Amino acid sequence: MEREALQAAVCELDSTVSPLDANADRAAVIVEASALPAIVRRLRDQPQFAFAQLLDHVAVDWIDRGQFELIYQLYSFKHKHFLSVSVFVPREDPRVPTLCRVHPVAEWQEREVYDLFGVLYDDHPDLRRLFLEDDWVGFPLRKDYQDDFMLDRPR
Amino acid sequence: MTVEVSSLKELVEQASGDDRSPDTQEYFVNMGPQHPSTHGVLRLVLKLDGERVLRCIPVLGYIHRSIEKISEHMNYMNCVHLTDRMDYLSSIMNNWAVSKAVEEAAGIEVNSRIQTIRTIFAELERIQSHQLWWGVLGMDLGAFTPFLYGIRDREVLNDVMEETVGARLTMNYVLPGGLMADIHPNFVHRVKEFIKYFRPKLDEYDDLLTNNVIIQERLRNVGILSPQTAVQYGATGPVLRGSGVAFDLRKDHPYGVYDQADFEVPVGTIGDSWDRYWVRVEEMRQSMNIVEQLLDNIPPGDFLVKKLNSKIKIPEGRYYSQLETARGILGVFIVSDKKDEPYRMHYRSPNFNNLWCLEPMIKGDYIASLIGAMSSLDLVIPDIDR
Amino acid sequence: MGIVTDKLPGALEKVPGGNVLVTRFDEIINWARASSLWPLTFGTSCCAIEMLMATGGPRHDLARFGAEVARPSPRQADLLILAGTIVKRMAPRLRTLYEQMAEPRYVIATGACTISGGPFIYHSYTTVRGADEIIPVDVYVPGCPPRPEQLFHGLLTLQKMIKEGETIREPGVRRKPVISALPEGITLEDIQGEMKELLVKENVVDVQHAVDKLKWPSGLNESSSGDSGANERGAGDGA
Ligand code: SF4
Repeated sequence: MEREALQAAVCELDSTVSPLDANADRAAVIVEASALPAIVRRLRDQPQFAFAQLLDHVAVDWIDRGQFELIYQLYSFKHKHFLSVSVFVPREDPRVPTLCRVHPVAEWQEREVYDLFGVLYDDHPDLRRLFLEDDWVGFPLRKDYQDDFMLDRPR
Repeated sequence: MTVEVSSLKELVEQASGDDRSPDTQEYFVNMGPQHPSTHGVLRLVLKLDGERVLRCIPVLGYIHRSIEKISEHMNYMNCVHLTDRMDYLSSIMNNWAVSKAVEEAAGIEVNSRIQTIRTIFAELERIQSHQLWWGVLGMDLGAFTPFLYGIRDREVLNDVMEETVGARLTMNYVLPGGLMADIHPNFVHRVKEFIKYFRPKLDEYDDLLTNNVIIQERLRNVGILSPQTAVQYGATGPVLRGSGVAFDLRKDHPYGVYDQADFEVPVGTIGDSWDRYWVRVEEMRQSMNIVEQLLDNIPPGDFLVKKLNSKIKIPEGRYYSQLETARGILGVFIVSDKKDEPYRMHYRSPNFNNLWCLEPMIKGDYIASLIGAMSSLDLVIPDIDR
Repeated sequence: MGIVTDKLPGALEKVPGGNVLVTRFDEIINWARASSLWPLTFGTSCCAIEMLMATGGPRHDLARFGAEVARPSPRQADLLILAGTIVKRMAPRLRTLYEQMAEPRYVIATGACTISGGPFIYHSYTTVRGADEIIPVDVYVPGCPPRPEQLFHGLLTLQKMIKEGETIREPGVRRKPVISALPEGITLEDIQGEMKELLVKENVVDVQHAVDKLKWPSGLNESSSGDSGANERGAGDGA
């Protein structure tokens, strides 16, 4: 399916899905946080989409807007197309339902995002820090992260 | 809906105690972070019943160097150099992935000479990476000779590439807009000589390891990864292909000049360690085929289409590019806010996703199988942790 | 006995009843330590490929320097070749490994990362800026990654230091770091030539010089019977 057609088809799935046009090369949609697992499950199971693999999970800290953007990259082996699904959550209370039940690899990808951004995943079976020690304070990839250890590059 | 944040200690305490059989005692063993067969500083917390592995919990972070944070304070030209240090055995492919993303974002068309040279180097490096993996796999399974063979041939190829690139490991050869330098006049000739040298050596590899009974016993029907599990657990590259899913970005979404080359994608059948082994050995042959086809008609042209300065700015938006490294799909995700530094830079590393296949692969099997299975995943730990 | 006497920092003395090796005890211990270093396989990242794998391989071959018996267990090793970045989480483990090694222990820090944090020094929230913040380091080998030849240069530097008895033994003290840097403009041939020269020099002991340096007990070297070759000197049968 072509990029535009795919984007339109995904948007027709549900009223909680809307298109996102900032992406350069692939179809992208915005999904409401509460509807995420259901939508991704349907994207996986419906044969015209068949997004079998969760390739990647990224978070972006939009500090000016007070939001985190959570991006899920999906890939379909059958139709050979990519889709990026975005979820916006407020920075103060970043919560989103987990995708572990749909794509098991999400368990660790979400742990990475929790570790570095502090996004909380509802119902996650094993939400722990992944890279940093359990007693680390703060979430280092947030734009406002500070600690005494980091050095700024001399200009 | 609950959110619970636990720690490793709690997890271990929870996990001990359940499914205990009456006459054995279960215990936890730490494997790593300083262990010769974890290829670096991976730590596995193993729950054992006798010699059987009941759980295998990877603990990461022993080489988490915060590359993504550093990248946010670097311009795009410098970001490229950090990627060498992630998956250092696929350094040129890593450079290429970032360069590709930046080029697509900034709208730079590179000429076919650059594309061809990049493709040749990527394939040579794939061979190099697999040579090292082959040697180390032998060493993990208790044979030292394969290591010597692998390193010996790797050095031969290393010399050929070093003549052009000027470095042995962290090559920094590909940069946005082209290449660091043109190929050395001797390059084509020496690569041909290398292929002539290495083809019989690959048969020697087969004699030494592939057809060896001990190796077969330790790899066959061990660490079976079904295609469904492989897809669900995010595996790509030789691990996914070993399970029988013929997915290769070079074929399915060609980049560079892979569409001009005629090559096959080896796939396994049942997804055991042996299939993954075989896929990689076969990939070396295919890579040599690709290089041979491209070598004779490298088109003329410049090796740098546009000299980009360090202040290069790319338009606002998100950019995603991916390519197939020696271990799977490397994805580069850039969010730009019109400055000369990325707003957010993320790497989808193949090893990070491949690692999670380890537990479903070896659950209930012996520790000795774990070593073979882990070796067949070909993990590079700095790429997992970034 | 030719080979042995050539290498030993002393001289073989013929006395009634057999051959006696006369040397200073310290010197022979230092010589033994320097000539058979057992490295610990400690590689965290990229440098490990060059420092442990390439040097262990047939082309470069660490065995030429008597240091090829790489041990995975710190209790059997006496040389820690630090290859790769050290991050905060690894730092306590590195310290433990170092403490577990038996004395005397030596440390070579290879690569920019273990010297200063290297490419990851700024804006990193985890990278330790130099291994010497955690353990004492004897020799620094710069590069990213250093070439195997550079590691050999560092190893020879360390061997020289051991033989002269001046390594850094106090833990946690950054004292007299020795940087085994190669001068600019040097070519591969130069390095290999220099290595060869060094090796030859290491292996040939000017026995006459060594003997002269030693204070001989009186009586043993007074009369010599005829042949005065360096190795045969002082055939003291008293006749
Ligand atoms: S010095 Fe360079 S090659 Fe060595 S570990 Fe650091 S980044 Fe890697």
